[in-house]
Amino acid sequence: MGKKCREYMGEINDYLDGELDPTICDEIENHIGQCENCRIMVDTLKQTVVLCREGKREALPAALEEKLTGLLRERWNKKFGK
Amino acid sequence: MSEKELVARAQAGDFDAFSALVTANKTKIYALAVKMTGNSEDADDVVQDTLVKANDNIEHFRGESSFGTWLYSIALNQTRALLSKKKQTDLKPIEEYLPSQPSQSLDEHSNSKLFDWKDPHTALEDQELKEIIDRELAALPYKYREAFLLKYYEELPIKEIAKIINESVASTKSRVLRARLALRERLAEIFKEQYG
Ligand SMILES: [Zn+2]
Repeated sequence: MGKKCREYMGEINDYLDGELDPTICDEIENHIGQCENCRIMVDTLKQTVVLCREGKREALPAALEEKLTGLLRERWNKKFGK
Repeated sequence: MSEKELVARAQAGDFDAFSALVTANKTKIYALAVKMTGNSEDADDVVQDTLVKANDNIEHFRGESSFGTWLYSIALNQTRALLSKKKQTDLKPIEEYLPSQPSQSLDEHSNSKLFDWKDPHTALEDQELKEIIDRELAALPYKYREAFLLKYYEELPIKEIAKIINESVASTKSRVLRARLALRERLAEIFKEQYG
């Protein structure tokens, strides 16, 4: 891997998240067109985030919800002397 | 009622106002706790301890951040306390995630080329894939894991994440990137083994 690849690494997240200066973006895109490893790096870094976002979010279990309601009210009443 | 008004009422002792603030945030705190701890029992503890802390310290909330951000900070402190019992290793520096220089190597099978894993869904079942992701996320050192999850799972801006984890913007960005690189590398190893 060349010196350029290394230089771009520090900025890769800003690039992927669309927070990088357009001139540098163009430079990186140009590089990706010629450098297979950087192309794979960019694609798989994108996939990494996509995969982590997949699936539904865990819902609060009903038992915990019930337990919390009782517990919080009790502590609250104690705290505010009710 | 605005969040500000709810906070003022809660601080004056109105449980319903506190309850409304908690209700607006508890699901996302739980989902984050599951991702952070990697299991639902630990997540239960984190959520409970977080809400009890919020209850006990409501008068100390100054409204400098949103109530949700305040809860995130508490939840991550609780997670940290829980996970600090387990050994944490550090991640390697950013540049070491790149393959080694190919030019000096005559070995064609050297690790100089990255594995292009394409779409893992074509080779792996959804459930299998989910387990791999959750396991590898949970294996990241927590200071990286929390930064990564706040950025890409909670989708918070870097500035807010920096506030929550009490780090500079630069160091927050670096943690997010290293977590992403480390996770990518682990997934590449796993997928290569599975269908490479
Ligand atoms: Zn390159």
